[in-house]
Amino acid sequence: MTEAIADTSFLIDWARYSRRDLLWRLFDVVHLPESVLAEIYSEGTLAWIVDGLASRRMALFTETDDVVDLARRIVSLSRALPARGVDLPEAVCLAAGLKFGYVVLTENGGAVMAPSFLNELSPVKVMRALDVLHALAQAGHIGLRDEVARYQVETGHRFAKRDLRRLGLE
Amino acid sequence: MDREFWMELLEEAREIRRREADWAYIDMQPPRLRAALRYYVETGDFRTAARLAGLGVEEFLERAREAKIPLVL
Repeated sequence: MTEAIADTSFLIDWARYSRRDLLWRLFDVVHLPESVLAEIYSEGTLAWIVDGLASRRMALFTETDDVVDLARRIVSLSRALPARGVDLPEAVCLAAGLKFGYVVLTENGGAVMAPSFLNELSPVKVMRALDVLHALAQAGHIGLRDEVARYQVETGHRFAKRDLRRLGLE
Repeated sequence: MDREFWMELLEEAREIRRREADWAYIDMQPPRLRAALRYYVETGDFRTAARLAGLGVEEFLERAREAKIPLVL
């Protein structure tokens, strides 16, 4: 079973995408930390989450003391990152990624970079929307160029040219 | 991806936010929100920006969209 855990930045962006349910082609379950759920308020995002929870594609992730302790340590370690640190909700996702092997879904720069800069987090796999789209294309579910264009139009997200060049799209 | 790639990506993301932001709109906002939007353009740190604005994270990102500041990464 392939499991992921999503933070706020990924959820509110991905929820605007008309083909958002493609996420279930990659992951059997996406966990939502309670601290992340508390940050969601818009009707559209909540409606998608409600559907996901009802269909058991999503699951509420209750932060236990050991996960929170690890997350707090990650927050502290992340102060050494060159650009920006990681806040507790993203750190909870990274801690769950380390502890349970969940893929971490985030658009938060600090969380995205953390496994490249902090040895302790190097086993954690982090994916952004662009990485998810790329994985869907590699699995043959979408055409990458068209879907990247659609995602940017529908969500207002902008992908950096460096990233698009890396994927042969620029 | 290596560290250099991420650092360059963060800089490009900042450039995109600066370029696409509707600065006239930002300048018309109340002081707290204006400061928060400017902070977000420079750092991409939406959570601290939301706190500066006195808003929730999703609500702040909605205001950033209204100011034409895209989520980039």
